[in-house]
Amino acid sequence: MPKVTINEKPIEVPAGTTILQAAEKLGFAIPHYCYHPHLSIAGNCRMCLVEVEKAPKLQIACQTQVTEGMVVRTQSEKAKQAVRATLEMELINHPIDCPVCDQAGECGLQDYYMRYGLHSSRVRLSDKVRKRKVIDLGPLVVLDTERCILCSRCVRFTDEVTRTHELQFFKRRDHTEIGTLDDQPLRNAYSGNVVDLCPVGALTSKDFRFKMRVWFLKSTPSVCPLCATGCNIWVDHHEREYATSDVTHSLGQDKGMPDVYHPGGEVYRLRPRRNDELNQSWICDEGRMGYKSLGAENRLYEPLVRKDGKLTWSDYGEALELLHQKLTDLKARHGGEAVAGVASPQATNEEIYLFARYFKDVIGTRLVDWRVGDGYKQIEAREDEILRRADKNPNSRGALLILAALTKQGGKGAEEILEAARGGKVKALVFQSQEWLARYPDQAKLKEALSRVDFIAAFATHRIPELDLVHLVLPQASYAEKDGSFTNYEGRVQKIQRCFPSREDTKPGWQIMASLFKKAGRELDVNSAADAFKMLAGEVPAFKGMTLAGLPSTGTVVPIK
Amino acid sequence: MSDNYQVDYKVKLVPEAKVHQTAIVKGLSVTMKEFVKTMFLGDAPTVQYPEQHRKYSERFRGVHILTQREDGSVKCVACMLCATACPAHCIHIEAGEIPDKRIEKYPGVFEIDLLRCVMCGLCVDACPEEALVMSEDYEMSSYAREDRVVARVDLMQRLKIKTWNLGYRPRYGESEKKIENKVLATGGTRDAGRHGEGG
Repeated sequence: MPKVTINEKPIEVPAGTTILQAAEKLGFAIPHYCYHPHLSIAGNCRMCLVEVEKAPKLQIACQTQVTEGMVVRTQSEKAKQAVRATLEMELINHPIDCPVCDQAGECGLQDYYMRYGLHSSRVRLSDKVRKRKVIDLGPLVVLDTERCILCSRCVRFTDEVTRTHELQFFKRRDHTEIGTLDDQPLRNAYSGNVVDLCPVGALTSKDFRFKMRVWFLKSTPSVCPLCATGCNIWVDHHEREYATSDVTHSLGQDKGMPDVYHPGGEVYRLRPRRNDELNQSWICDEGRMGYKSLGAENRLYEPLVRKDGKLTWSDYGEALELLHQKLTDLKARHGGEAVAGVASPQATNEEIYLFARYFKDVIGTRLVDWRVGDGYKQIEAREDEILRRADKNPNSRGALLILAALTKQGGKGAEEILEAARGGKVKALVFQSQEWLARYPDQAKLKEALSRVDFIAAFATHRIPELDLVHLVLPQASYAEKDGSFTNYEGRVQKIQRCFPSREDTKPGWQIMASLFKKAGRELDVNSAADAFKMLAGEVPAFKGMTLAGLPSTGTVVPIK
Repeated sequence: MSDNYQVDYKVKLVPEAKVHQTAIVKGLSVTMKEFVKTMFLGDAPTVQYPEQHRKYSERFRGVHILTQREDGSVKCVACMLCATACPAHCIHIEAGEIPDKRIEKYPGVFEIDLLRCVMCGLCVDACPEEALVMSEDYEMSSYAREDRVVARVDLMQRLKIKTWNLGYRPRYGESEKKIENKVLATGGTRDAGRHGEGG
């Protein structure tokens, strides 16, 4: 463990640590472009030059490993001057088209210019080397070779992470530019990451292009809900009011009521959030585009109730009362076993817990499950070698852990419920998400079983064709509109956070369950997802002693066996 | 001291009727003079609004103008610095993309809500390219509230209305030529947001 002194502050770090990493531990930010914590070290941008005592010249902090007794100065006049000179060199041929550049606001050149540069250019605009702009690199990436500072982060990414080797340097001297052969598009499933990697505006997102200036956006840490990996993400969103007439399909408009505006929000993009133990700094393109479903055309904002064979828009209070009445009525007439619940691995831990508890305690049935086939046995199964997993549910592990602790699960999973429905034993059925209906492999079999059930309810975020089988639909908040936690394939419990309030009648799942408990006369002390998590931690052994607020940003791994 | 203080009264006593006579003549002469001046010589301190408009300072902050390039396209590239600077949040911009690779971006929607606008001029200060300036137009009333949310096309057409002079803008004098689309055929003009200075 060598001891080093950086800017007069001593620190002891493991052997092999670089000066840049040691300085970061002490809280000294050393400017850098080519260094990236999850890529190999290139040492080509020369921005991280620092003064090392007894070394004849300045050393690059990103590659120089610390040695015993090393004395480093990052803020000395010599080091500062080197940074300034390097920055000026990077800007020699930079087009300075910040007004049309999407990187503006989160650009390495802008940030370091304001902190270290502030020089006047010695290059006339007409003398700058012009290069090609707006090159289409596939569905997610736009390349601007003029803005590139040739740090090679993106080249190393395609070489080392995706191993598809699409990006490369072309030409020589100040005409050097990055690109793909013949401008072929990037065809890997992680191409969007080069946009986040790029410290300048050379690689920008095609999807986010010109939609919003980044300084208007707020970032909320969350977890990607599209597969069992649970990559850490930033949800970049902007507040947007919505009018009552945007959501109420029949109620408000018929009465000629004026629009009332409510606070709401819109998600503009998802970015990977660093988690060294899980997704490093990457997310897949599928996850990156996952936000699109949040504001999709078929998002449900109002309850649907079947009237005369057709699903019609309804009032939230009426729909909830109807659900409660039907469940208690059918339970009273046919016994607890006549009511069954299909939980969802799409829901958060808290929601699954309250859902299972409702059916166990209030209804008194053992028919609560979600498992179909053998898929749940291979949650770890990979789809590719980097991040994606075959299980497209964010919380399969959590559902397994929680339901195993609360109920006695049979070997057949949800098939048992469907079999009972086919036999006419199940009179009422509640689905915790619409996804389960859509993903059931044998739709004809499902339809046949459901046709024999008197009353079917579902909590749904989106209106999908499969919901036509259902008698009552309660709209549910999406993952950007609720608090909670997901448990990923390895048992890592990770927090998701509410970015903006959900629309009026759209409630988080835990809230719907809490109001059902209340209607049944068994009021729980649950006013937030954190309350539900506290109850869950008291009952499920794997989660013992944990709190939602106490979860670190990178999650906590719980024992899964 | 006070004992020695004496006021030298020299009051001219005039008969009462004479006071009235001279005052009337004096007063009427002023009236007649002003009457002739305003009626026939056209020299009045008031203006015949709305037929006439008062000339305001060059730095008057009236309704905004979106300036144009030589070819008549909008000069703004939707960098949204004006919307960022605006304390009243009255500028709404939605950027669009154009095929010209040297400009890339243009404001597909550019609206200023004049009912919210406080005419502070910070948007003009923020604009890096003199794409947004102000005019001397202060007539901002209308029959419907919606009409006061002025869109890009209206903001650009203000140039054609010669009634109103240019108002608050970053540079006076030579820049007017630029704003009125007469000049500057150098290579740099069609480039989005490129300055000679800085960087």
